[in-house]
Amino acid sequence: MARLAVHLPPLALRNPILSASGTYGHAAEMQHMADIRAIGGLVSKTVTRLPRHGNPAPRICETEAGFLNSIGLENKGLDYYVRELLPQMAEQDTCVITNIGAERVEDFVELAARLSDEPAVDALEVNLSCPNVQEGKLPFATDARMAARVIEEVKRATKKPIFAKLSPNVSRISEMAIAVEAAGADAITAVNTVLGMQVNWRTGKPGLHTVQGGYSGTAIKPIALRCAWECARSVSIPIIGCGGITTAHDVLEFMVVGCTAVQIGTASFGDPGLVGRLAGEVEALLDSAGIDDVNALIGTLRTPQATPRATRPHEGQQAPCASKT
Amino acid sequence: MPAPPIDARSLTARTVSVTPCGDDGFVLRIRPDVGQAPLRAARFFMLRREDRLSPAIPRPFSIYRQVGEDLEFLIKNMGTGTAALSQCTPGTRLRLIGPLGNGWPALDGEGAPWVMLAGGIGSAPFFMGIEQALAGMDGRKPVQRESITYLYGAARRGLLYDIEAFRRLGVRVEACTDDGSAGFKGNVLQLLEDLWKRGEVPRQVRLLACGPERMLEAVENLARARNLQCWLSLETLMGCGVGICNGCPVPTVESGPMGAWPNAKCCVEGPVFSVDDVTLAGAH
Ligand SMILES: Cc1cc2nc3c(=O)[nH]c(=O)nc-3n(C[C@H](O)[C@H](O)[C@H](O)COP(=O)(O)OP(=O)(O)OC[C@H]3O[C@@H](n4cnc5c(N)ncnc54)[C@H](O)[C@@H]3O)c2cc1C
Ligand SMILES: Cc1cc2nc3c(=O)[nH]c(=O)nc-3n(C[C@H](O)[C@H](O)[C@H](O)COP(=O)(O)O)c2cc1C
Ligand code: FES
Repeated sequence: MARLAVHLPPLALRNPILSASGTYGHAAEMQHMADIRAIGGLVSKTVTRLPRHGNPAPRICETEAGFLNSIGLENKGLDYYVRELLPQMAEQDTCVITNIGAERVEDFVELAARLSDEPAVDALEVNLSCPNVQEGKLPFATDARMAARVIEEVKRATKKPIFAKLSPNVSRISEMAIAVEAAGADAITAVNTVLGMQVNWRTGKPGLHTVQGGYSGTAIKPIALRCAWECARSVSIPIIGCGGITTAHDVLEFMVVGCTAVQIGTASFGDPGLVGRLAGEVEALLDSAGIDDVNALIGTLRTPQATPRATRPHEGQQAPCASKT
Repeated sequence: MPAPPIDARSLTARTVSVTPCGDDGFVLRIRPDVGQAPLRAARFFMLRREDRLSPAIPRPFSIYRQVGEDLEFLIKNMGTGTAALSQCTPGTRLRLIGPLGNGWPALDGEGAPWVMLAGGIGSAPFFMGIEQALAGMDGRKPVQRESITYLYGAARRGLLYDIEAFRRLGVRVEACTDDGSAGFKGNVLQLLEDLWKRGEVPRQVRLLACGPERMLEAVENLARARNLQCWLSLETLMGCGVGICNGCPVPTVESGPMGAWPNAKCCVEGPVFSVDDVTLAGAH
């Protein structure tokens, strides 16, 4: 029976499996679908200071290997969350992480300050990366200085540990990771959705009302894995992997590249019971591999050593070019 | 927060049979690994294959018939999800999330007669609806056979799926097609107007409708114009079916009982809505 408990200091999780924001409601709804006690933690849908009605339909569309959404952070706002939803989350026997979102630093600060006094909240996840507001301009997601400012101010406003949720839609995610670590983030969630779109060539119509939206599901797993790995090797705070994770094998792959925990998003739509079963499946895999503690796998990626002599480019020959392979 | 029904589960099932139906449809019969209590008509399940041949996101389908331990779905081929289901063979494993949604309101024999308007594959939730109305729902007075008129419209004859099964229920069934290849030539609304004009259906009726959005919008307008009670079973896109993705918004009537928020969630607050609650036609 492999040990599954992991640490996102100061939080101790009973296992590394978390539900991803916006894909598991507030868990109370799901208690007949999954054994919530078998989940390491629950991340709420993004809460904003004021209610948001969300984007017009169509808000979702399925593509070849993934799922596009442009919900637009529909939610009833902070007061409603604290009054109606948080108490339901608190009743669940697992960690509660409240995901907060805003378009202005002041709103992030107000959200953090209000939630700081809520004993039911174990941590805050700061959504720096929603692609479905501000026409996908992603100001906090792509500008390291802005992201750092949000994290700094949120940190000052709350005693809760904070996770910074990053976007994959940047050239160098390591720069974002380094910036939020320096600003005081306690962990990094990597990643939110990848910007994408769909179109029907016959009608000329895009699949989403907002044209572009967030791409998620198995299709983005390699992108998310690379992002998580790049974050893990750039900072020393823990990384929470997210993107396309569907099986226990996926979970362990993210841990090998350096994640301490993972989040399950779109896979819950295909099977809302999955997130409650994954810890057991991870345990079975570890047992069969003779590994007695999941922590032993974290960051064990074996990067190839220096290129062997025989394959080294000779003088005058072109170096292998990744884009031409 | 509206939650999924407490009897909803994430289940597996196996395919019993796939039987072609009409020009582009089929009846998928499955046996869930966990038995299902009797289900209310117009409730639905999210369905996909367990192998990798289905899209990852399951698709919503109304329960068509419940036969012993088996569930039947009447499905029209639309795209990848329905194509994958149509290619199931006996034994193919399926993922099933449900039962979901509210189902028809109690169809009782106390008030005005019921007129049911179905368009194309929108007939699926009516078969059990009629059976249950005749048997009595929620302890209410059963509806008499002559108090149900089932108006079934489609583009052409081959898209009137399994219409004979409806006739065998013993209620009045009238068909119509856009091209006149079966029944009245025209749509279900024109058919209803025609029956009204000829005095074959009373003016005061209660309406239920399921079908393409344009048809439902027209039914809503009719109900508002004539002040008739009316419920629509809506078919929005759905990502989860259980109220967590916010992918299935339906505009609410601002001055109505649900008007405090601009959209309802079709999956957990519907799929059946009264036109007092929601509007496809933009009522305020
Ligand atoms: C509560 C509910 C009950 C339903 N019951 C039934 C049923 O009993 N039988 C049945 O055949 N279908 C039913 N549907 C509709 C069914 O879910 C869709 O036809 C199906 O999801 C199409 O999936 P696909 O992958 O084959 O098509 P896709 O490849 O996803 O889509 C193909 C094309 O169809 C369009 N489309 C997809 N879904 C819908 C929709 N809901 N309405 C209009 N256009 C759509 C897409 O925009 C696209 O252009 C129901 C829907 C709901 C919400
Ligand atoms: C329908 C939907 C809604 C989402 N809503 C949110 C949200 O409110 N806040 C957020 O931080 N991420 C949100 N996400 C992103 C997920 O939490 C996750 O980061 C992303 O989907 C990648 O993981 P996946 O491939 O496992 O789904 C949403 C994703 C989906 C599909
Ligand atoms: S389909 Fe996901 S909320 Fe309704």
